[in-house]
Amino acid sequence: MIKKTIDARGSYCPGPLMELIKAMRAAAVGDVIEVWSNDAGSAKDIPEWVNKMKHTLVHVQETDGFYKIAVEKTHP
Amino acid sequence: MDRAPKLSIILASEELEKVHAASLMGSVAAMSGMEVSLFVTMNALIPFLKKTAEKQSFKMGEMGTSLLEKTDRFDTLLENGKALGSLKVYACALAMDVMGWTMEDFLPVFDDVIGVTAFFNLAQDGQILTM
Repeated sequence: MIKKTIDARGSYCPGPLMELIKAMRAAAVGDVIEVWSNDAGSAKDIPEWVNKMKHTLVHVQETDGFYKIAVEKTHP
Repeated sequence: MDRAPKLSIILASEELEKVHAASLMGSVAAMSGMEVSLFVTMNALIPFLKKTAEKQSFKMGEMGTSLLEKTDRFDTLLENGKALGSLKVYACALAMDVMGWTMEDFLPVFDDVIGVTAFFNLAQDGQILTM
């Protein structure tokens, strides 16, 4: 299901969001991108961006002290 | 499609923390589909000087020191915002004239030098943030 995983652990806001946006640009509609982040701010902010940009939030999982946030690209 | 919402930021402080916050907000807004203009005026131009940035001789507190250690610097945030969205950075013409500075003196983030009238034209019918 997950087409691409980005490990943005160690990067502070807005680094993980930026990495996600870069990957979303390169992705095709329907692709799911997962970004890993240990930045709590990004875990709150990325879903906000996803809603604002009208993509789909697949999940936000917290495991082993970091977050896995998966997003489906729903439009070009 | 509706026109992109506009956000204009007036940055007048040389404190690194405010410069960082303005750059971060501007770049995230641009990456979120807003049309962003950042107007850098008065002392806020000082951290953008090459001589200040090279020596990292910013006016800052404990927060600024941590930001420099751990995060991308404000000029990198601005470059990212420009690459991934609509973000323009403008230097205030009056402040440049008074200090005798030219674009050569600054980090390469500025799109133009403009006056207040041009800024208000850009900002018209959008939101304005002052920092």
